Amino acid sequence: MRLKTFAGAALALAMSAGAAMAEWAPDGPVKLWIGFGAGGETDTLGRLVAQNMSEATGWDIVVENKPGGGGMAMFTQLATLPADGRTLGMGVTMPVLVNLTIRPDEVPFDLDSFDYLSTVALAQLALVAPANAPYDDLAGLIEHAKASDGALVGFDAKPQELLMQFVDKQAGAGFRLVSTKSSAENVQNLLGGHVDAAFVAGAHIPYLESGELKMLASANASRHSYAPDVATVQEQGFEIYVDPWFYIAAPAGLPDEAKTALADALAAAITADPTKEVVMNAMHTEPSGDGPEATKARLTDGLVNVGKLFGQ
Amino acid sequence: MPPLEIILAGFADAFTLVNLAFVLAGVVMGQVVGAIPGIGPVMAMAIAIPFTFVLDPLVAISFLVGINKGGLFGGAIPAVLINTPGTPDAAATALDGHPLAAKGRPNQATRMALFASVTGDTFSDLVLITCAAPLATAALMMGPVEKLALMLFAFSVIAGLLGDSLAKGLMAAVMGLLLATVGLDPEQSTPRFYFGYFELYDGPPLVAVAIGMLAVAEIFRRMAGARGGPRPAVAASTAGDRVSWADYWGCRWVMARGAVIGTVLGAIPGIGSTAAAFMSYASARTSDPGGVPFGEGNLRGIAATESANSAVMGANLIPLLGIGIPGSITAALLISAFTIHGIQPGPLLFQTQGQLIYGLFGAMLMANLSNLLIGLVSLRAWTVALRAPDSFILPAALVFCIAGVYVSTGGMFGVAVMLISALLGWAMGAVGLPVVAFIIAFFLGAQFESLLSQTLVIVDGKPAALMEHPIALVLLLAAIGTAIWLGRR
Repeated sequence: MRLKTFAGAALALAMSAGAAMAEWAPDGPVKLWIGFGAGGETDTLGRLVAQNMSEATGWDIVVENKPGGGGMAMFTQLATLPADGRTLGMGVTMPVLVNLTIRPDEVPFDLDSFDYLSTVALAQLALVAPANAPYDDLAGLIEHAKASDGALVGFDAKPQELLMQFVDKQAGAGFRLVSTKSSAENVQNLLGGHVDAAFVAGAHIPYLESGELKMLASANASRHSYAPDVATVQEQGFEIYVDPWFYIAAPAGLPDEAKTALADALAAAITADPTKEVVMNAMHTEPSGDGPEATKARLTDGLVNVGKLFGQ
Repeated sequence: MPPLEIILAGFADAFTLVNLAFVLAGVVMGQVVGAIPGIGPVMAMAIAIPFTFVLDPLVAISFLVGINKGGLFGGAIPAVLINTPGTPDAAATALDGHPLAAKGRPNQATRMALFASVTGDTFSDLVLITCAAPLATAALMMGPVEKLALMLFAFSVIAGLLGDSLAKGLMAAVMGLLLATVGLDPEQSTPRFYFGYFELYDGPPLVAVAIGMLAVAEIFRRMAGARGGPRPAVAASTAGDRVSWADYWGCRWVMARGAVIGTVLGAIPGIGSTAAAFMSYASARTSDPGGVPFGEGNLRGIAATESANSAVMGANLIPLLGIGIPGSITAALLISAFTIHGIQPGPLLFQTQGQLIYGLFGAMLMANLSNLLIGLVSLRAWTVALRAPDSFILPAALVFCIAGVYVSTGGMFGVAVMLISALLGWAMGAVGLPVVAFIIAFFLGAQFESLLSQTLVIVDGKPAALMEHPIALVLLLAAIGTAIWLGRR
């Protein structure tokens, strides 16, 4: 690791000498802060992006975990740093947008506190049920819930709960929502028959193949690449969706050339083959690598959508 | 189970020199990071994963398995030698390990921990290898209601540890539960007691609290108690400072029970090694008195905890390999190592990747052996190194605690939590409140609350609905029975 750092630094020196007129390069190591603890999806993705980026640009990139509040702790700290392009933060849109919606006064930053550099990927969120359940879509689940005195639906994040409450209010189904800590816990409860349906982001796909689980709906605004026949919640008649994007931001006010250089380097690292392979393997989706403008739009549109989730 | 030639081919893949080299490197690295408070195998594995991308899948996974297994045992070394456990599991080891080391038997204490750890680990690995699939399916029957009942049963067994002063033990446990309520509540995601710090949304960082209360408080206590000239941090060896075959054999039932407790709790996702370590320790204490009183250096106490917490880790892979569900963070890290290489863990894993899985089993057995051999050598080095004056060792340990917590919690906030916890731990120790009861309650409290909230939704607030959960009922009755039995003694 140490050796690698030295090698990286040496390479950076060599490159900066070679490309003296090159646009922008950081004047030291760049930190990539991960808004979650070691070992999660965000962490694995972030470390891989950092490694690719460091190899491609020769910059020395240091990954640090800053867990707490689904990335809130990290972004709170990031917003206070100087805009020198030396510290970047990677998080997921949903927890940030939820907090900005329900506690705007307590959150010490807003969407304008950051310059947005790139999206990394969209988490594909599905509503899943055991394969032997007597329903195949949202309407069937609602039917089942009405007939059997409520249905148990597992969720592991607030927006999923709100989405289900939205559906419940419109349909009068009587869902009982079971709060869990992870997709893995939801899959386990589904397989064990402890819940009637649950939200899962990717972990369910092997079970679709083995025929133990089935997918009732895509909770995103679009259908999922691996299950093009399953309609979204919106298509099934409920005007609501949840789109959690992984994205990378920096403190607001980056000089233009720094912003361009960083965004280009990130986009290249995110769409590079090794990252692509991991994103495909782990999340069954293409890495996105949207540029600054599109990333910012994801956030602002997302905030409107989350407002709608809460404003029911 | 796959055909024999696939099994043999898998083991043949595992037993190569390259693999052995990576397993050994992993074990050495794991023992070192495990021994340094705050870093631990989880952090080391997370850092290593991107670098394993260039390796062959089996080599990559063997390396990670080596780190994990080395780290499991590594945590016991400072716990026993200088009473500074980095995790709650190791705190259970320190309960008897440190007093024994302080009596001039550091080698006996650490080696017993090593032997028990390898024994428990090997037991659960063999269970994993021979019957992962049926056990994983059985574990699926444990839903939130059943897990809540199991947790209550674990509490009733662990309550035996409060023993000497019930009132003080309960006070400490309630304080721990209270601390566990900090953060977002599991039902409505309302922030509780967070005082504007988003860092507290997920509750106080576990690592920071554990290291603060267990390790840093002990360092402060020893620094404050230092008088006169330099003293070695570890007591010098006296006669009989070794583990004889009779010592080991005398602990066989304790280790067997620990291994079974660890394997059962490990096979059920989301219960964890802390509960297993303390359940095993408590049951050893209530049923196997032995010669030396517990808490004063009883070998059985060391054997019970180390066999149980090591057995958890092998068993954690039962749900992972059997049905594709990670039972712990380290199992989740192994999943990400699998997926990086395009291997999808899940129900079809044995069919599609049988050879690789048996290769992994081979690597696990190799890692156990490496752990034993490297442990025997490294323990010598540790006991000699820690014989340096405590005026060197204690400040160095403090620096490691601060650095480790800084890295794993992502900044000074975690360090501040650690220092506050250390002061709290020191104060509690001074007025005779058992810190261990506090820590267990704090660690299991958040989990308990989450399970309780799930259970209330599932049974819809109707106690009669429990009739549909016979396993939970049996566990609840067992919990009540244990409580009555312990109360009578």
